[in-house]
Amino acid sequence: MLARLAIVGVLAVALAALLTLGLPATAHASPLEDLRARGALLWGADQEGGGPYVYPRDDDPEQVTGFEVDLANALGRKLGVKAEFTQAAWDKLPDMLETSKVDVVLNGYELTPERALTMTPTMPYYVYALALLVRKDDAAITKWEDLYAEPDGRRVQIGVLGGSAAETFANELCATPPEKGGKGCDVRAYEGNTDTMTEVETGKLDATIEDTPIARFYASRFPRLHVVDEPRRNGYYVMYVRKGDEATARAIDDALVDLALSGELQKLYEPYGIWDARQKEIVALARSARFFRVGHEPVATSASEDGGPSDGPAPDAEAEQVPTGRKRGLDVVTAYGMTLLRSAGLTILLSVASFPLAVIAGILIAIGRLYGPRWLRFPLAVYVEFLRGTPLMLQLYFLFFLLPGVGITIPALPTAILGLAINYSAYESEIYRAGLQAVPRGQMEAALALGMSRSMALRKIIVPQAVRIVIPPVVNDFIALFKDTSVCSVITLVELTKRFSILSQSTQATVELMLMTAVLYLVMSYPMSVLAQRIERRLGLEARA
Amino acid sequence: MIRVERLSKRFGELVVLADVTLGVERGEVHVVVGPSGGGKSTFLRCLNGLERFDEGSVRVGEHTLGPASDPKRDGAPLEALRRKVGFVFQQFNLFPHLSVMENLVVAPMSVLREPRETAEARARALLDRVHLSAKAAARPAQLSGGQQQRAAIARCLMMKPEVILFDEPTSALDPIMAGEVLAVMSDLAKEGQTMIVVTHSMDFARKAATTVHLFAEGRRAESASPEAFFGAPKEQVTQRFLALTT
Repeated sequence: MLARLAIVGVLAVALAALLTLGLPATAHASPLEDLRARGALLWGADQEGGGPYVYPRDDDPEQVTGFEVDLANALGRKLGVKAEFTQAAWDKLPDMLETSKVDVVLNGYELTPERALTMTPTMPYYVYALALLVRKDDAAITKWEDLYAEPDGRRVQIGVLGGSAAETFANELCATPPEKGGKGCDVRAYEGNTDTMTEVETGKLDATIEDTPIARFYASRFPRLHVVDEPRRNGYYVMYVRKGDEATARAIDDALVDLALSGELQKLYEPYGIWDARQKEIVALARSARFFRVGHEPVATSASEDGGPSDGPAPDAEAEQVPTGRKRGLDVVTAYGMTLLRSAGLTILLSVASFPLAVIAGILIAIGRLYGPRWLRFPLAVYVEFLRGTPLMLQLYFLFFLLPGVGITIPALPTAILGLAINYSAYESEIYRAGLQAVPRGQMEAALALGMSRSMALRKIIVPQAVRIVIPPVVNDFIALFKDTSVCSVITLVELTKRFSILSQSTQATVELMLMTAVLYLVMSYPMSVLAQRIERRLGLEARA
Repeated sequence: MIRVERLSKRFGELVVLADVTLGVERGEVHVVVGPSGGGKSTFLRCLNGLERFDEGSVRVGEHTLGPASDPKRDGAPLEALRRKVGFVFQQFNLFPHLSVMENLVVAPMSVLREPRETAEARARALLDRVHLSAKAAARPAQLSGGQQQRAAIARCLMMKPEVILFDEPTSALDPIMAGEVLAVMSDLAKEGQTMIVVTHSMDFARKAATTVHLFAEGRRAESASPEAFFGAPKEQVTQRFLALTT
């Protein structure tokens, strides 16, 4: 019976996969029409990237704020739809776009030729430059050229965000030192935007190169750092829509032109302290665009008559969005405790929903491999080896971002539960295989001799004993899965670990948040261990004493 | 009621059973003795399909088993045969995760679909018969070896088998516990239960057997009544075996 069930299950999955592979992706009407009909502009960003782009609100850390949030809302108003934020890992945003999970990527994405090959850019919404940040008490570096100086006879250490324009620039810079200076400098890539600033502050790094909005926004958070020399290498932040979706791109351009020329864009950026002289170029672009009849409003406005919106940095007094000092100690607990706790809820939901599925599938696979027909054993072995031998992250990525390409679209939460269950079913099946083999042969013989069928013997006699044997490794596996749920952040779920990363990037209260997160994980997993020990003791007594 | 025809089994070059033919009538007690490795246990295990064989046939009532090549062997016909043939193992093989009571009722309830109440009533009567009434709620691990084997016999009787195969039921027990088990078996024999018993207990063979067989090197070397077998063994191999064991 059980072996047969396992066969049917595997066949069904294989059949479903075959059928769906043959199906073409569902045809869409124009994405802009879709968007208007839906009444919502879905824009994707990663709040872990932090301020001033998109980051958790101070008063409600589960809501987002930032100049890109305000920009998205303004765009939504212009388009007559609601702007809806969609959280996704920064480097997965193009995939979110590709699979129609968002309409537009709006998250400090630079305009690069490579990206323009796979996505359609809008006009720029911000002109950034690269700023050089060092410690105020570090007299050795006061200009870009000092990076080659080798102050104490060692190369200057520069930290940058991996994959950013700053990294490219820093590499170029260090690779080509002036002939008479030192021998160059070292570039180190980091994952988080503010990690490099922390490292400069603590002295592990000598300097960091940051986009101007970040340097400006975090000035108050890192009072010991300052910008030296003039920022270099201007670049554009643009939004990206799906490749070929010109209609949406033009609609966004129209709205951007209107926002830039009416002065709304300036009002929107000023609270974050990021409206500077460089943004004149946006206004100029908008004006030429208007000349080519992009946009809706009449060209002549009083603001644009005398040189557009005012230049220069916004006054500090009005920069209410700029963060003040860092929160410390208990303040962090009271401010973010509930938020972390709610994210822990998602972690629990993911593990509790996926593990029973993994256990059931694991038992069926183990039975199939040990007692099933010969032809079934090889495919099951392949299934187990494949899922054990490839990273969970890739499997989730496949389910979430590649299956839509063949017409299967599953929301993030069910995808995560399914992905975890499938991945862990491989591990579980090996545990149960060991457990089943540990039941003495005589048990099956005794059951058969009493007239039981093989499947009945498995159900009534063998599996119940195997389950008892494998309790410790299964509990072990559950705790592992519990922590592996953090991988689900690659498919947009903000569980405990991702929430920790987001908050730590935006608040720099890393130590407190890390402790709280660790305690939450421990508080959740320890009772499991205790429960398991208890079950084990009870069943152990039953079986042996 | 049991007819074994020309049963043969090989493991590669090794001949385990060679051309064994044997008949058992209702109510008879056949005791199989012989040196270790002579094929006694394998013979017994072939009779209820726990072991495959290469040639010959086994018939129990209306059920027939053929050589290993017969594809039906692993299906319903085999299960039907096993319901009529009880088996008692050397290592008892009680189910350690179930109480003694559950050990007795699990097969009747799941295989014969007997209601729990009647199954438990029969189980209590059988436990009383093997002097284990007080142990119904105990786990097998809490029982002595002799108690476990008596419980295993009771479990086997729950299926009302037409014949019971005993595979060295007392070899894992000390003499006192073995005595308890043999007493239960003797009672069963007196009540007319058909049995085939592989054992090293010559005493049981002498007192309870209808026929005694000597197996050596995969062959049935000699078969006789207990009186003839122990009093005047014909074959040399029997004489040698008896000289060594008694």
